[in-house]
Amino acid sequence: MTRRFRSSYGAGPLHLLVLIACFALAGAGVIGWAHVDLPGIVAWLIAVMLLYELVLFPLSSALDRAVFSRARSEAAAGPGDQAAAPPRRRGWFIGLRAVPYVRVPAMLSGLLLITFFPLILRAPHSSFHSYTGLSDHVYFARWLAATGVLYGLSGLAYAFSVWRARGTIERLHSKPGKR
Amino acid sequence: MRLPVVDLTRTPRGPFRPDFWRSPLRGPWLTALLGLVLMIGTPIVVVTGLISNAAYQPLLAGNSIGTNLSPLDLYVFTWPTRPVWLYALTEGLHVTIGLALFPVLLVKLWSVFPRLFEWPPVRSPAHALERLSVALLVGSALFEFVSGIVVMQFYYPFPFFFTAAHYYGAWVFIAAFGAHVLLKFGTMRRGLRTRGDVMEAAGASPGPTSLAAVSPGPVTMSRRVLLGTVGAGSLLLLLQGAGGSIGGPFRFLSFFGPHGYTGSGPLDFPVTETAAAAQITPASVGAAWRLDVVGTRSLQFSREQLLAMPQHTYDLPIACTEGWSTTQRWTGVRLRDLAALAGVNESATVTSSTVQTDLNGGYVVTLGSEQVADELSLLALRVNGVDLSLDHGYPARVISPAVPGTHCHKWVSKLAFSPVLT
Repeated sequence: MTRRFRSSYGAGPLHLLVLIACFALAGAGVIGWAHVDLPGIVAWLIAVMLLYELVLFPLSSALDRAVFSRARSEAAAGPGDQAAAPPRRRGWFIGLRAVPYVRVPAMLSGLLLITFFPLILRAPHSSFHSYTGLSDHVYFARWLAATGVLYGLSGLAYAFSVWRARGTIERLHSKPGKR
Repeated sequence: MRLPVVDLTRTPRGPFRPDFWRSPLRGPWLTALLGLVLMIGTPIVVVTGLISNAAYQPLLAGNSIGTNLSPLDLYVFTWPTRPVWLYALTEGLHVTIGLALFPVLLVKLWSVFPRLFEWPPVRSPAHALERLSVALLVGSALFEFVSGIVVMQFYYPFPFFFTAAHYYGAWVFIAAFGAHVLLKFGTMRRGLRTRGDVMEAAGASPGPTSLAAVSPGPVTMSRRVLLGTVGAGSLLLLLQGAGGSIGGPFRFLSFFGPHGYTGSGPLDFPVTETAAAAQITPASVGAAWRLDVVGTRSLQFSREQLLAMPQHTYDLPIACTEGWSTTQRWTGVRLRDLAALAGVNESATVTSSTVQTDLNGGYVVTLGSEQVADELSLLALRVNGVDLSLDHGYPARVISPAVPGTHCHKWVSKLAFSPVLT
């Protein structure tokens, strides 16, 4: 019986039971939505989903691909080549070792932007100023400042890592026996 | 003419091909770990959200977000008045933990993104139903997080009533989240055991159902750095919520929150709605202002008469739905003293309306009998030793322990006490 159910349904009976309970409860929520503004809510929900899944993700991925193309080919070439011939820096392409130091602050800055965009970009028809009596002109500057601080910290960390790596190489050169 | 036929056995090009997805960071361990964080954190946001909603006492007159609209309008307890910081805590946690989980949610969604394009789109009835529940989960999660986050910034980019949509959306989310945890718990546990470095995990049994890339691109950043970034992002957003919620010397940490108020000295604390926003002019609350108090008899008081009554001073937090709160020293007349003057000595609720209500149909709210009976519930006339300013609710405002800020009416014009039938 269970086996026949499994072969025609594709999972055990418990799987179906859990999903029936899920749709029943979700249905009660949707009934509530229907009393508020179902078409408006569903349209907004789908718009947000599309924005994140089909705009934000592909866009950030494409940007990442463009900025770090050099690092990618370096990484693909393998770790051996790096020590032999340190990568030359050309244009705005970023070497493999610098990738996290560029990417991490960009991700954090981007996170702040997509979270607080209504304040940072002073979204039209925002009620912020009229409600709180505060100016929303400060937030763009704060976001720039936060981005600057993030890149500053990252730059220091990168400088430290370069300095440490150089020290290691020099020690290896001065004591060839230890190699 | 021949119609194009979709052949489900042949995988279309682009994202439907497994080798389209190149990131070496995706894999069962990453997804499982982020899932674990969300599994633990999200219930805190859900429960504090439901408690905060109950704090609005939706069954009392004027408070409704839409009672009897759905079987979910079920409230099993009345709202207490102690501890006085109860609502500040539940709403502060709701907003703060919600913010902190947002980056985790985004990276979790990114980690399973290829699944959106899996081919064939449906393998069995079970698979179809589960994908439908996942669509509900992703949709309701983004709806709840994004709507909450923009509203926190006083941005309402939608035509519908946020509170009700957010509340019922929470139930859609609870349903889909619960089912997802039950159905994926085993997968998550197995995923957590596959821990290894990037290369290993990427190479571990890649297949059409694995989250790891079949042909991963070169590694330019370790998975540890990605997780560290998610953690740093969470911390950054957590500070935005926590700074505003804890307030005082920590408010500066919330550099994307309502930072302070441009008033000075004793009046320097944030407001959610200025007098200008409520269209309250000095003239509308001038010498002609009177407070109507209605019970078994109706009375009218000028501000001077209210100041001549026994005054009480308490330190009470004002906690906003947007998540920030601030504790100030309020002085005024006890609500229960006003109820007694109006001839209501038994247990009673109070419905307040404001000058704004009279002017342009602003809302009325009702506080429950616990709130009215509590000695800390005041009609405040002064704050921190000075008269209320117009933005802080001059001539008189309600302040009541553990009650949402929006229920502590400013510019009060009428208090109507209704005995509770027992």
